[in-house]
Amino acid sequence: MIEPSPELRDVCAVVGASNSRLGKVPGVSSLDLLVEAMRNAIADAGLKVDDIDGIVCRGPDEAYGHHQLIGERLGINARFSTSLDNGGASQILAVALATMAIKAGLATTVICGYGRDSWSRTHSSKEANVRNETRPDSQLAHEFGPEYGYFGAVAAHAFGATRHMHLYGTTRDQFGEVAVAFREHALRNPDAQMKKPLSIAEYHEAPQVVSPFGLYDCSLRSDAAGAVIVTSRERARDLRQPPVLIKGFGSFNNLRGWFADDNMVVTAAKNSGATAYRMAGLGPDDVDTAQIYDCFTYMVVAQLEDYGFCKKGEGGPFVASGALRMGGRLPTNTSGGQLSEAHVEGMLQVVEGVRQLRHTYPADRQVADAEVALVSGHGGNQVCHSTLILGRA
Amino acid sequence: MSAAAQKPVPRPAPESVPYWQAAREHRLELPRCNACHKFWFPPSRSCPHCLAADFAWTPVSGIGKVYSFVTFHRVYHPAFAQEVPYVVALVELAEGPRLLSNIVGVPPDAVACDLPVKVLFDDVAEGVSVPKFVPLNE
Repeated sequence: MIEPSPELRDVCAVVGASNSRLGKVPGVSSLDLLVEAMRNAIADAGLKVDDIDGIVCRGPDEAYGHHQLIGERLGINARFSTSLDNGGASQILAVALATMAIKAGLATTVICGYGRDSWSRTHSSKEANVRNETRPDSQLAHEFGPEYGYFGAVAAHAFGATRHMHLYGTTRDQFGEVAVAFREHALRNPDAQMKKPLSIAEYHEAPQVVSPFGLYDCSLRSDAAGAVIVTSRERARDLRQPPVLIKGFGSFNNLRGWFADDNMVVTAAKNSGATAYRMAGLGPDDVDTAQIYDCFTYMVVAQLEDYGFCKKGEGGPFVASGALRMGGRLPTNTSGGQLSEAHVEGMLQVVEGVRQLRHTYPADRQVADAEVALVSGHGGNQVCHSTLILGRA
Repeated sequence: MSAAAQKPVPRPAPESVPYWQAAREHRLELPRCNACHKFWFPPSRSCPHCLAADFAWTPVSGIGKVYSFVTFHRVYHPAFAQEVPYVVALVELAEGPRLLSNIVGVPPDAVACDLPVKVLFDDVAEGVSVPKFVPLNE
Protein backbone atom coordinates (compact mmCIF):
# COMPACT_ATOMS: atom_id res chain seq x y z
CA MET A 1 0.00 0.00 0.00
CA ILE A 2 1.30 3.40 -0.93
CA GLU A 3 0.69 6.46 1.18
CA PRO A 4 -0.98 9.26 -0.79
CA SER A 5 -0.13 12.72 0.46
CA PRO A 6 -2.64 13.96 3.03
CA GLU A 7 -1.44 17.44 2.06
CA LEU A 8 -3.78 17.20 -0.91
CA ARG A 9 -6.78 16.62 1.36
CA ASP A 10 -9.19 19.54 1.67
CA VAL A 11 -6.90 22.02 -0.11
CA CYS A 12 -9.15 22.45 -3.13
CA ALA A 13 -12.85 22.70 -3.70
CA VAL A 14 -15.31 22.31 -6.52
CA VAL A 15 -16.98 25.69 -6.89
CA GLY A 16 -18.90 25.26 -10.12
CA ALA A 17 -20.68 22.25 -11.56
CA SER A 18 -23.10 21.96 -14.42
CA ASN A 19 -24.25 20.09 -17.46
CA SER A 20 -25.32 20.84 -21.00
CA ARG A 21 -28.60 19.73 -22.52
CA LEU A 22 -28.75 15.95 -22.13
CA GLY A 23 -30.03 13.20 -24.37
CA LYS A 24 -30.82 13.67 -28.03
CA VAL A 25 -29.28 16.96 -29.13
CA PRO A 26 -28.89 16.58 -32.89
CA GLY A 27 -26.84 19.04 -34.87
CA VAL A 28 -24.61 20.04 -31.95
CA SER A 29 -21.03 18.83 -31.77
CA SER A 30 -19.54 17.28 -28.65
CA LEU A 31 -17.25 20.31 -28.47
CA ASP A 32 -20.21 22.68 -28.48
CA LEU A 33 -21.93 20.61 -25.80
CA LEU A 34 -18.81 20.73 -23.64
CA VAL A 35 -18.51 24.49 -24.06
CA GLU A 36 -22.20 24.77 -23.14
CA ALA A 37 -21.60 22.81 -19.94
CA MET A 38 -18.50 24.88 -19.16
CA ARG A 39 -20.36 28.17 -19.66
CA ASN A 40 -23.04 26.88 -17.32
CA ALA A 41 -20.42 25.84 -14.76
CA ILE A 42 -18.70 29.24 -14.90
CA ALA A 43 -22.07 30.94 -14.35
CA ASP A 44 -22.90 28.49 -11.57
CA ALA A 45 -19.65 29.43 -9.80
CA GLY A 46 -20.22 33.15 -10.28
CA LEU A 47 -16.85 33.43 -11.98
CA LYS A 48 -15.74 35.32 -15.07
CA VAL A 49 -14.08 33.30 -17.79
CA ASP A 50 -10.87 35.28 -17.25
CA ASP A 51 -10.68 33.77 -13.76
CA ILE A 52 -10.03 30.37 -15.35
CA ASP A 53 -6.33 29.69 -15.88
CA GLY A 54 -6.37 25.92 -16.27
CA ILE A 55 -8.15 23.39 -18.48
CA VAL A 56 -8.06 19.62 -18.02
CA CYS A 57 -10.48 17.83 -20.26
CA ARG A 58 -10.94 14.94 -22.58
CA GLY A 59 -11.93 15.02 -26.19
CA PRO A 60 -13.67 12.55 -28.44
CA ASP A 61 -11.61 9.41 -29.06
CA GLU A 62 -10.27 10.66 -32.36
CA ALA A 63 -9.32 14.10 -31.01
CA TYR A 64 -5.83 15.53 -30.70
CA GLY A 65 -5.10 18.42 -28.35
CA HIS A 66 -8.75 18.90 -27.43
CA HIS A 67 -7.92 21.31 -24.59
CA GLN A 68 -6.65 23.73 -27.22
CA LEU A 69 -10.07 23.83 -28.86
CA ILE A 70 -11.66 24.47 -25.48
CA GLY A 71 -9.34 27.40 -24.78
CA GLU A 72 -10.05 28.81 -28.21
CA ARG A 73 -13.81 28.61 -27.68
CA LEU A 74 -13.61 30.07 -24.18
CA GLY A 75 -11.24 32.76 -25.43
CA ILE A 76 -8.59 32.11 -22.80
CA ASN A 77 -4.96 31.15 -22.49
CA ALA A 78 -4.09 28.71 -19.74
CA ARG A 79 -1.22 28.35 -17.30
CA PHE A 80 -1.94 24.64 -17.18
CA SER A 81 -3.87 22.64 -19.73
CA THR A 82 -3.98 19.18 -21.19
CA SER A 83 -6.29 16.46 -22.48
CA LEU A 84 -6.53 13.03 -20.88
CA ASP A 85 -6.69 9.57 -22.36
CA ASN A 86 -8.00 7.18 -19.67
CA GLY A 87 -11.48 6.75 -21.09
CA GLY A 88 -14.20 6.97 -18.46
CA ALA A 89 -11.57 7.23 -15.74
CA SER A 90 -10.36 10.52 -17.22
CA GLN A 91 -13.02 12.77 -15.73
CA ILE A 92 -12.06 12.22 -12.08
CA LEU A 93 -8.41 12.15 -13.06
CA ALA A 94 -8.97 15.66 -14.48
CA VAL A 95 -10.21 16.86 -11.08
CA ALA A 96 -7.25 15.14 -9.40
CA LEU A 97 -4.77 16.71 -11.81
CA ALA A 98 -6.40 20.11 -11.32
CA THR A 99 -6.00 19.74 -7.56
CA MET A 100 -2.35 18.79 -7.92
CA ALA A 101 -1.70 21.68 -10.31
CA ILE A 102 -3.32 24.18 -7.95
CA LYS A 103 -1.46 22.77 -4.95
CA ALA A 104 1.78 23.01 -6.92
CA GLY A 105 1.11 26.63 -7.79
CA LEU A 106 0.82 25.96 -11.49
CA ALA A 107 -2.72 27.32 -11.78
CA THR A 108 -5.38 28.88 -9.56
CA THR A 109 -8.71 27.91 -11.08
CA VAL A 110 -9.07 24.92 -13.38
CA ILE A 111 -12.08 23.89 -15.44
CA CYS A 112 -12.59 20.18 -16.14
CA GLY A 113 -15.14 18.58 -18.40
CA TYR A 114 -16.15 16.09 -20.99
CA GLY A 115 -18.74 16.04 -23.72
CA ARG A 116 -20.06 13.41 -26.10
CA ASP A 117 -22.27 13.21 -29.15
CA SER A 118 -22.84 9.49 -28.84
CA TRP A 119 -26.57 9.52 -29.54
CA SER A 120 -26.11 11.49 -32.75
CA ARG A 121 -23.04 9.49 -33.71
CA THR A 122 -24.82 6.14 -33.39
CA HIS A 123 -27.97 7.40 -35.12
CA SER A 124 -26.34 9.10 -38.10
CA SER A 125 -27.16 6.19 -40.43
CA LYS A 126 -28.63 2.70 -40.33
CA GLU A 127 -25.13 1.25 -40.51
CA ALA A 128 -23.91 3.43 -37.64
CA ASN A 129 -26.88 2.28 -35.60
CA VAL A 130 -26.09 -1.38 -36.26
CA ARG A 131 -22.42 -0.98 -35.36
CA ASN A 132 -23.26 1.11 -32.28
CA GLU A 133 -19.62 2.14 -32.17
CA THR A 134 -18.32 5.53 -31.06
CA ARG A 135 -14.64 4.95 -31.73
CA PRO A 136 -12.85 5.39 -35.03
CA ASP A 137 -11.78 2.23 -36.86
CA SER A 138 -8.14 2.87 -36.07
CA GLN A 139 -8.88 2.21 -32.38
CA LEU A 140 -10.73 -1.06 -32.83
CA ALA A 141 -9.25 -4.54 -32.66
CA HIS A 142 -8.37 -6.09 -36.03
CA GLU A 143 -7.69 -9.61 -34.75
CA PHE A 144 -8.54 -11.75 -31.72
CA GLY A 145 -12.09 -10.44 -31.64
CA PRO A 146 -13.95 -9.36 -34.76
CA GLU A 147 -13.42 -12.68 -36.54
CA TYR A 148 -15.44 -14.26 -33.72
CA GLY A 149 -18.20 -11.68 -33.89
CA TYR A 150 -16.89 -10.04 -30.74
CA PHE A 151 -17.73 -6.34 -30.82
CA GLY A 152 -18.31 -3.57 -28.35
CA ALA A 153 -18.27 -2.67 -24.70
CA VAL A 154 -21.50 -4.52 -23.85
CA ALA A 155 -19.86 -7.88 -24.48
CA ALA A 156 -16.65 -6.95 -22.68
CA HIS A 157 -18.50 -6.12 -19.48
CA ALA A 158 -20.91 -9.03 -19.90
CA PHE A 159 -17.93 -11.36 -19.52
CA GLY A 160 -17.44 -9.98 -16.02
CA ALA A 161 -21.12 -10.37 -15.22
CA THR A 162 -21.11 -14.02 -16.30
CA ARG A 163 -18.09 -14.82 -14.18
CA HIS A 164 -19.49 -12.97 -11.16
CA MET A 165 -22.78 -14.85 -11.48
CA HIS A 166 -20.84 -18.11 -11.69
CA LEU A 167 -18.68 -17.40 -8.64
CA TYR A 168 -21.22 -15.79 -6.36
CA GLY A 169 -24.68 -16.69 -7.59
CA THR A 170 -25.43 -13.10 -8.58
CA THR A 171 -28.72 -12.89 -10.49
CA ARG A 172 -30.31 -10.81 -13.21
CA ASP A 173 -32.97 -9.83 -10.69
CA GLN A 174 -30.20 -8.13 -8.76
CA PHE A 175 -28.82 -6.41 -11.87
CA GLY A 176 -32.40 -5.39 -12.62
CA GLU A 177 -32.74 -3.65 -9.28
CA VAL A 178 -29.80 -1.40 -10.25
CA ALA A 179 -31.55 -0.39 -13.47
CA VAL A 180 -34.92 0.09 -11.78
CA ALA A 181 -33.51 2.11 -8.85
CA PHE A 182 -31.58 4.47 -11.13
CA ARG A 183 -34.59 4.94 -13.38
CA GLU A 184 -36.62 5.90 -10.36
CA HIS A 185 -33.97 8.52 -9.53
CA ALA A 186 -33.99 9.82 -13.11
CA LEU A 187 -37.73 10.48 -12.91
CA ARG A 188 -36.97 13.08 -10.23
CA ASN A 189 -34.41 14.76 -12.50
CA PRO A 190 -36.04 16.99 -15.14
CA ASP A 191 -32.85 17.00 -17.26
CA ALA A 192 -32.66 13.19 -17.47
CA GLN A 193 -32.81 11.50 -20.86
CA MET A 194 -35.18 8.77 -19.67
CA LYS A 195 -38.63 9.96 -18.69
CA LYS A 196 -40.67 6.77 -18.21
CA PRO A 197 -40.76 4.45 -15.21
CA LEU A 198 -39.10 1.05 -15.50
CA SER A 199 -40.40 -2.03 -13.69
CA ILE A 200 -38.48 -5.19 -12.94
CA ALA A 201 -40.92 -7.03 -15.22
CA GLU A 202 -40.09 -4.67 -18.10
CA TYR A 203 -36.40 -5.19 -17.34
CA HIS A 204 -36.78 -8.94 -17.75
CA GLU A 205 -39.01 -8.69 -20.82
CA ALA A 206 -36.62 -6.42 -22.74
CA PRO A 207 -34.57 -7.96 -25.55
CA GLN A 208 -31.27 -9.54 -24.72
CA VAL A 209 -28.32 -7.64 -26.21
CA VAL A 210 -25.29 -9.67 -25.22
CA SER A 211 -26.31 -12.08 -22.49
CA PRO A 212 -26.35 -11.86 -19.60
CA PHE A 213 -27.10 -8.22 -20.46
CA GLY A 214 -30.44 -7.14 -21.79
CA LEU A 215 -31.39 -3.69 -23.01
CA TYR A 216 -31.76 -2.14 -19.56
CA ASP A 217 -28.43 -3.43 -18.28
CA CYS A 218 -26.82 -1.09 -20.79
CA SER A 219 -26.17 2.62 -20.36
CA LEU A 220 -27.50 5.23 -22.73
CA ARG A 221 -26.15 6.72 -25.91
CA SER A 222 -26.28 10.42 -25.15
CA ASP A 223 -25.46 13.80 -26.57
CA ALA A 224 -24.37 15.47 -23.36
CA ALA A 225 -21.60 17.17 -21.42
CA GLY A 226 -20.68 18.09 -17.90
CA ALA A 227 -18.12 20.42 -16.36
CA VAL A 228 -16.76 21.36 -12.95
CA ILE A 229 -14.47 24.11 -11.72
CA VAL A 230 -11.76 23.50 -9.12
CA THR A 231 -10.00 26.19 -7.13
CA SER A 232 -8.22 26.55 -3.82
CA ARG A 233 -10.20 26.31 -0.62
CA GLU A 234 -9.27 29.94 0.15
CA ARG A 235 -10.60 31.27 -3.15
CA ALA A 236 -13.68 29.10 -2.83
CA ARG A 237 -14.78 30.97 0.31
CA ASP A 238 -15.65 34.11 -1.65
CA LEU A 239 -17.62 32.43 -4.41
CA ARG A 240 -21.31 31.97 -4.97
CA GLN A 241 -21.80 28.30 -4.16
CA PRO A 242 -21.20 26.41 -0.94
CA PRO A 243 -17.75 24.93 -1.65
CA VAL A 244 -17.48 21.18 -1.89
CA LEU A 245 -14.09 19.99 -0.72
CA ILE A 246 -11.92 17.52 -2.56
CA LYS A 247 -11.04 15.20 0.29
CA GLY A 248 -9.23 12.49 -1.58
CA PHE A 249 -8.70 10.79 -4.88
CA GLY A 250 -7.07 7.70 -6.22
CA SER A 251 -6.32 5.94 -9.44
CA PHE A 252 -5.49 2.42 -10.44
CA ASN A 253 -5.13 0.78 -13.81
CA ASN A 254 -5.26 -2.97 -14.35
CA LEU A 255 -3.10 -2.72 -17.43
CA ARG A 256 -2.51 -6.46 -17.61
CA GLY A 257 -5.97 -6.42 -19.08
CA TRP A 258 -9.63 -6.98 -18.39
CA PHE A 259 -9.23 -10.62 -19.43
CA ALA A 260 -6.17 -11.18 -17.23
CA ASP A 261 -6.06 -12.40 -13.63
CA ASP A 262 -9.41 -11.84 -11.89
CA ASN A 263 -9.72 -8.25 -13.14
CA MET A 264 -13.22 -8.67 -14.55
CA VAL A 265 -14.49 -9.60 -11.07
CA VAL A 266 -12.19 -7.60 -8.77
CA THR A 267 -11.94 -4.32 -10.63
CA ALA A 268 -9.38 -1.54 -10.39
CA ALA A 269 -11.91 0.25 -8.17
CA LYS A 270 -10.47 -1.73 -5.28
CA ASN A 271 -6.98 -0.21 -5.37
CA SER A 272 -8.17 3.14 -6.68
CA GLY A 273 -10.65 3.39 -3.81
CA ALA A 274 -8.11 2.31 -1.19
CA THR A 275 -5.85 5.19 -2.24
CA ALA A 276 -8.71 7.69 -2.19
CA TYR A 277 -9.89 6.55 1.23
CA ARG A 278 -6.39 6.91 2.65
CA MET A 279 -5.90 10.37 1.23
CA ALA A 280 -9.27 11.42 2.63
CA GLY A 281 -8.75 9.68 5.96
CA LEU A 282 -12.16 8.09 5.45
CA GLY A 283 -13.63 4.67 4.78
CA PRO A 284 -16.75 3.22 3.21
CA ASP A 285 -18.77 3.69 6.41
CA ASP A 286 -18.25 7.45 6.11
CA VAL A 287 -19.80 7.67 2.63
CA ASP A 288 -23.37 9.01 2.50
CA THR A 289 -23.95 8.79 -1.24
CA ALA A 290 -22.13 7.09 -4.10
CA GLN A 291 -22.06 8.14 -7.74
CA ILE A 292 -20.79 5.02 -9.46
CA TYR A 293 -19.70 4.60 -13.07
CA ASP A 294 -22.67 2.60 -14.30
CA CYS A 295 -21.84 1.76 -17.88
CA PHE A 296 -23.62 -1.54 -17.15
CA THR A 297 -25.63 -2.73 -14.16
CA TYR A 298 -23.06 -5.36 -13.26
CA MET A 299 -20.32 -2.75 -12.94
CA VAL A 300 -22.25 -1.10 -10.11
CA VAL A 301 -22.46 -4.41 -8.24
CA ALA A 302 -18.75 -5.11 -8.69
CA GLN A 303 -17.61 -1.62 -7.71
CA LEU A 304 -19.79 -1.49 -4.59
CA GLU A 305 -17.93 -4.61 -3.47
CA ASP A 306 -14.54 -3.27 -4.50
CA TYR A 307 -15.16 -0.02 -2.60
CA GLY A 308 -15.95 -2.01 0.54
CA PHE A 309 -19.64 -1.16 0.86
CA CYS A 310 -20.15 -4.91 1.14
CA LYS A 311 -17.93 -7.97 0.82
CA LYS A 312 -16.81 -9.37 -2.54
CA GLY A 313 -19.62 -11.52 -3.84
CA GLU A 314 -22.31 -9.83 -1.74
CA GLY A 315 -23.01 -6.97 -4.13
CA GLY A 316 -26.09 -8.69 -5.51
CA PRO A 317 -27.86 -9.06 -2.16
CA PHE A 318 -26.63 -5.57 -1.19
CA VAL A 319 -28.37 -3.90 -4.12
CA ALA A 320 -31.42 -6.17 -3.77
CA SER A 321 -31.87 -4.86 -0.22
CA GLY A 322 -32.85 -1.48 -1.67
CA ALA A 323 -29.57 0.08 -0.52
CA LEU A 324 -29.22 2.20 -3.66
CA ARG A 325 -32.61 3.90 -3.35
CA MET A 326 -33.27 7.34 -1.89
CA GLY A 327 -33.57 6.65 1.82
CA GLY A 328 -31.61 3.41 1.42
CA ARG A 329 -28.33 2.57 3.08
CA LEU A 330 -26.27 4.10 0.24
CA PRO A 331 -28.32 6.23 -2.17
CA THR A 332 -26.46 5.77 -5.43
CA ASN A 333 -26.56 7.52 -8.80
CA THR A 334 -29.16 9.86 -7.44
CA SER A 335 -29.55 11.76 -10.74
CA GLY A 336 -30.25 8.56 -12.67
CA GLY A 337 -26.71 7.64 -13.68
CA GLN A 338 -25.53 6.65 -17.10
CA LEU A 339 -28.29 4.05 -17.23
CA SER A 340 -31.06 6.67 -17.07
CA GLU A 341 -29.81 10.29 -16.82
CA ALA A 342 -27.22 10.44 -19.63
CA HIS A 343 -23.91 8.76 -20.38
CA VAL A 344 -21.01 11.22 -20.29
CA GLU A 345 -18.38 8.71 -19.20
CA GLY A 346 -18.49 9.64 -15.53
CA MET A 347 -18.60 13.41 -15.84
CA LEU A 348 -22.18 13.72 -14.62
CA GLN A 349 -21.31 11.51 -11.66
CA VAL A 350 -18.87 14.20 -10.53
CA VAL A 351 -21.48 16.92 -11.07
CA GLU A 352 -24.09 15.01 -9.08
CA GLY A 353 -21.68 14.31 -6.21
CA VAL A 354 -21.08 18.05 -5.93
CA ARG A 355 -24.76 18.93 -6.12
CA GLN A 356 -25.73 16.47 -3.40
CA LEU A 357 -23.21 18.05 -1.03
CA ARG A 358 -24.50 21.56 -1.62
CA HIS A 359 -27.83 20.61 -0.04
CA THR A 360 -29.72 22.77 -2.52
CA TYR A 361 -31.89 20.05 -4.07
CA PRO A 362 -35.61 19.76 -3.38
CA ALA A 363 -36.26 17.20 -0.65
CA ASP A 364 -37.20 14.37 -3.03
CA ARG A 365 -33.79 14.54 -4.74
CA GLN A 366 -31.64 15.33 -1.71
CA VAL A 367 -29.77 12.62 0.19
CA ALA A 368 -30.58 13.75 3.71
CA ASP A 369 -27.62 15.17 5.63
CA ALA A 370 -25.11 14.02 2.98
CA GLU A 371 -21.62 14.99 4.15
CA VAL A 372 -19.43 12.71 2.03
CA ALA A 373 -19.85 11.51 -1.56
CA LEU A 374 -17.78 8.89 -3.36
CA VAL A 375 -17.55 9.17 -7.14
CA SER A 376 -16.08 6.57 -9.47
CA GLY A 377 -14.73 6.59 -12.99
CA HIS A 378 -13.99 3.51 -15.09
CA GLY A 379 -12.89 3.05 -18.65
CA GLY A 380 -10.02 2.72 -21.07
CA ASN A 381 -10.94 -0.81 -22.23
CA GLN A 382 -12.36 -1.63 -18.81
CA VAL A 383 -9.13 -1.40 -16.83
CA CYS A 384 -8.56 2.26 -15.89
CA HIS A 385 -10.18 3.49 -12.72
CA SER A 386 -10.33 6.68 -10.70
CA THR A 387 -12.04 7.60 -7.44
CA LEU A 388 -12.98 10.96 -5.98
CA ILE A 389 -14.13 11.59 -2.43
CA LEU A 390 -15.95 14.86 -1.89
CA GLY A 391 -17.08 16.42 1.37
CA ARG A 392 -19.01 19.39 2.66
CA ALA A 393 -16.79 22.21 3.88
CA MET B 1 -25.48 -3.91 -45.30
CA SER B 2 -25.57 -6.21 -48.34
CA ALA B 3 -26.66 -9.81 -48.03
CA ALA B 4 -23.16 -10.76 -49.14
CA ALA B 5 -21.53 -9.16 -46.11
CA GLN B 6 -18.36 -11.01 -45.24
CA LYS B 7 -17.24 -11.77 -41.73
CA PRO B 8 -14.13 -9.87 -40.74
CA VAL B 9 -10.96 -11.85 -41.23
CA PRO B 10 -8.02 -11.28 -38.92
CA ARG B 11 -5.72 -8.45 -39.93
CA PRO B 12 -2.62 -9.54 -38.05
CA ALA B 13 -0.22 -7.20 -36.34
CA PRO B 14 3.37 -7.99 -37.38
CA GLU B 15 4.04 -9.87 -34.13
CA SER B 16 1.04 -12.18 -34.57
CA VAL B 17 1.72 -13.29 -38.14
CA PRO B 18 3.26 -16.64 -36.99
CA TYR B 19 0.14 -17.37 -34.92
CA TRP B 20 -2.06 -17.09 -37.98
CA GLN B 21 0.38 -19.01 -40.15
CA ALA B 22 0.20 -21.91 -37.71
CA ALA B 23 -3.59 -21.64 -37.49
CA ARG B 24 -3.76 -21.87 -41.29
CA GLU B 25 -2.10 -25.29 -40.89
CA HIS B 26 -4.52 -26.15 -38.06
CA ARG B 27 -1.94 -25.86 -35.33
CA LEU B 28 -2.39 -23.74 -32.20
CA GLU B 29 0.98 -22.21 -31.34
CA LEU B 30 1.79 -19.53 -28.81
CA PRO B 31 4.96 -17.69 -27.92
CA ARG B 32 6.86 -19.41 -25.12
CA CYS B 33 9.73 -17.83 -23.24
CA ASN B 34 13.09 -19.60 -23.49
CA ALA B 35 14.14 -18.05 -20.17
CA CYS B 36 11.15 -18.62 -17.84
CA HIS B 37 9.37 -21.18 -20.07
CA LYS B 38 5.96 -19.55 -19.69
CA PHE B 39 3.50 -19.03 -22.52
CA TRP B 40 1.76 -15.76 -23.25
CA PHE B 41 -0.98 -14.27 -25.40
CA PRO B 42 -1.65 -12.03 -27.25
CA PRO B 43 1.59 -12.31 -29.20
CA SER B 44 4.43 -9.90 -28.53
CA ARG B 45 8.17 -10.04 -29.00
CA SER B 46 9.15 -10.05 -25.34
CA CYS B 47 7.93 -12.12 -22.44
CA PRO B 48 5.45 -10.23 -20.22
CA HIS B 49 6.43 -12.52 -17.32
CA CYS B 50 10.21 -11.86 -17.31
CA LEU B 51 10.85 -9.42 -20.22
CA ALA B 52 13.22 -11.84 -21.97
CA ALA B 53 13.15 -11.42 -25.73
CA ASP B 54 14.24 -15.01 -26.44
CA PHE B 55 11.14 -17.04 -27.27
CA ALA B 56 9.87 -19.75 -29.57
CA TRP B 57 6.50 -20.34 -31.21
CA THR B 58 5.45 -23.55 -29.45
CA PRO B 59 2.46 -25.86 -29.95
CA VAL B 60 -0.03 -26.03 -27.09
CA SER B 61 -2.45 -28.79 -26.17
CA GLY B 62 -5.54 -27.01 -27.45
CA ILE B 63 -7.27 -28.12 -24.26
CA GLY B 64 -8.71 -25.58 -21.87
CA LYS B 65 -11.76 -24.46 -20.01
CA VAL B 66 -14.22 -21.63 -20.34
CA TYR B 67 -13.23 -18.84 -17.96
CA SER B 68 -16.26 -16.78 -18.93
CA PHE B 69 -18.56 -16.34 -21.92
CA VAL B 70 -21.26 -14.17 -23.42
CA THR B 71 -24.04 -14.82 -25.91
CA PHE B 72 -24.57 -12.33 -28.72
CA HIS B 73 -28.22 -11.73 -29.52
CA ARG B 74 -27.76 -8.31 -31.11
CA VAL B 75 -26.27 -8.14 -34.59
CA TYR B 76 -23.37 -5.66 -34.66
CA HIS B 77 -22.13 -6.74 -38.07
CA PRO B 78 -24.42 -7.89 -40.88
CA ALA B 79 -22.30 -10.99 -41.55
CA PHE B 80 -23.36 -12.36 -38.16
CA ALA B 81 -27.10 -11.90 -38.74
CA GLN B 82 -27.56 -15.62 -39.37
CA GLU B 83 -25.34 -16.62 -36.44
CA VAL B 84 -27.22 -15.11 -33.49
CA PRO B 85 -27.45 -16.27 -30.82
CA TYR B 86 -23.76 -17.23 -30.75
CA VAL B 87 -21.29 -17.66 -27.94
CA VAL B 88 -18.02 -15.79 -27.55
CA ALA B 89 -15.93 -17.28 -24.78
CA LEU B 90 -12.71 -16.53 -22.99
CA VAL B 91 -10.95 -19.89 -23.01
CA GLU B 92 -8.18 -20.48 -20.50
CA LEU B 93 -5.75 -22.92 -22.03
CA ALA B 94 -4.14 -25.63 -19.91
CA GLU B 95 -0.85 -23.80 -20.55
CA GLY B 96 -2.21 -20.63 -18.93
CA PRO B 97 -3.00 -18.00 -21.56
CA ARG B 98 -6.59 -16.98 -22.24
CA LEU B 99 -7.97 -16.69 -25.80
CA LEU B 100 -11.19 -15.18 -27.08
CA SER B 101 -13.00 -17.59 -29.35
CA ASN B 102 -16.35 -19.12 -30.20
CA ILE B 103 -17.79 -22.22 -28.57
CA VAL B 104 -19.36 -24.17 -31.41
CA GLY B 105 -21.15 -27.46 -31.84
CA VAL B 106 -23.50 -26.96 -28.90
CA PRO B 107 -26.35 -24.54 -28.21
CA PRO B 108 -25.53 -21.48 -26.08
CA ASP B 109 -27.31 -22.88 -23.04
CA ALA B 110 -24.87 -25.81 -22.99
CA VAL B 111 -21.96 -23.45 -22.31
CA ALA B 112 -20.92 -22.73 -18.75
CA CYS B 113 -17.96 -21.30 -16.87
CA ASP B 114 -15.26 -23.90 -16.31
CA LEU B 115 -16.61 -26.13 -19.11
CA PRO B 116 -13.69 -28.19 -20.50
CA VAL B 117 -13.12 -27.48 -24.19
CA LYS B 118 -10.78 -28.41 -27.02
CA VAL B 119 -9.69 -26.54 -30.10
CA LEU B 120 -10.76 -27.08 -33.67
CA PHE B 121 -10.07 -24.97 -36.73
CA ASP B 122 -12.63 -23.23 -38.88
CA ASP B 123 -11.49 -22.52 -42.44
CA VAL B 124 -13.28 -19.21 -42.76
CA ALA B 125 -11.74 -17.97 -46.01
CA GLU B 126 -9.17 -18.97 -48.58
CA GLY B 127 -5.95 -19.36 -46.60
CA VAL B 128 -7.51 -18.24 -43.33
CA SER B 129 -8.37 -20.58 -40.45
CA VAL B 130 -9.39 -19.47 -37.00
CA PRO B 131 -9.24 -21.57 -33.84
CA LYS B 132 -12.59 -22.27 -32.23
CA PHE B 133 -13.56 -24.56 -29.39
CA VAL B 134 -16.00 -27.37 -28.72
CA PRO B 135 -16.81 -29.07 -25.42
CA LEU B 136 -14.13 -31.64 -24.66
CA ASN B 137 -16.65 -34.48 -24.48
CA GLU B 138 -18.24 -33.72 -27.87
